[in-house]
Amino acid sequence: MTRYLRTTFWRTLRSSRLFQIALILLFWAAGEGIARTTHLMIPGPVLGLFIVLLLLATRRLNILTVRRGAQWFLAEMLLFFIPAVLAVLDHPELLGMLGLKILAVILFGTITIMVVTGAAIDLCYRWVNRGEKCDVV
Amino acid sequence: MWCDELLIHAVFWSLLTVALYALGKFLNARRPSLFTSPLVFTPVLLIAVALIGHVRYAEYIRGTHWLMMLLGPATVAFAIPIYEQRVLIRRHWMLLLIGVVAGSCTAVISSWLLSKLFGLDATLCLSLLPRSMSTPFAMTVSGDIGGVPALTSVFVVITGVLGATIGELLLNCLPFRSALARGALLGMGAHGAGTAKAHQIDSEVGAIAGLVMVLVGLLNVLSAPLLAHVVSSALHSW
Repeated sequence: MTRYLRTTFWRTLRSSRLFQIALILLFWAAGEGIARTTHLMIPGPVLGLFIVLLLLATRRLNILTVRRGAQWFLAEMLLFFIPAVLAVLDHPELLGMLGLKILAVILFGTITIMVVTGAAIDLCYRWVNRGEKCDVV
Repeated sequence: MWCDELLIHAVFWSLLTVALYALGKFLNARRPSLFTSPLVFTPVLLIAVALIGHVRYAEYIRGTHWLMMLLGPATVAFAIPIYEQRVLIRRHWMLLLIGVVAGSCTAVISSWLLSKLFGLDATLCLSLLPRSMSTPFAMTVSGDIGGVPALTSVFVVITGVLGATIGELLLNCLPFRSALARGALLGMGAHGAGTAKAHQIDSEVGAIAGLVMVLVGLLNVLSAPLLAHVVSSALHSW
């Protein structure tokens, strides 16, 4: 009976979003810790990502134990970008002509980057699959 | 007394940021447009409030820094979609690598040429260079090559907003059919915002975008010393 209760409790806890969010925070903290103590060039969050990937790949971590938490972080990610935008407050010069120029650089630069990246992959993909009749991965 | 004031400040700005974000999301679900997009709607209103209250960036960010820090665990969360698409990725890692290298080279060259064309100074150009990467990478690289990380973080967000919108338009008019090319286009050009958009299109495209975003960041952080060297010699001819 106690064993049954324990497994049920563990199962409920494991699938709760809050627990999963906490778990991801833990992996992040581990990544940051490693990055700080080993002075690697790789940022802590990326180390955390690799820790999770490694645990998933070696089946030490079940994907259902982190999936809902991860979905929450990915869905709300735009919120975490917002505070950075207010750095504009310290740079009023960006709101004038200079800002428009920068906007133009970003706009044309991003279009160029996107077209080149997409075209490079698409051309290689077609070249690799030449002769085969499938155009959707 | 002083400590209380700090706490009230932090709670006020955090609540306001989250509330305006939620409102933006709600409005955008009802009536999707660039102006109700949470990345445009929320910052514009926050800046208006800050300007009215004569609040400086340092005061604002002191209270809301924790929100920005959550980009860290959000990066960790990308492990899950990447793991779920491992078969696709294992089969096409070479193509993805080609895309990332091509995109990164284009980013450096286009930023440099366009900055020159529009007459921007060297510091701005260096702060603009890493804008296609996700924030933790971009700030690292910006500092390494001699840009201003705080400016870069603004450019990163602007790139995300513009890129996610333009990316969708580009995908509609360019003949890229494979999830690889479509995902890489969004992940390379518009980092997290592009990846979020990619997830809306299709989970496969989203996973590719997420992976490409991480690859771009890694490649650039690792090659930052080389990039710094290239940049410093290019500056002599500015």
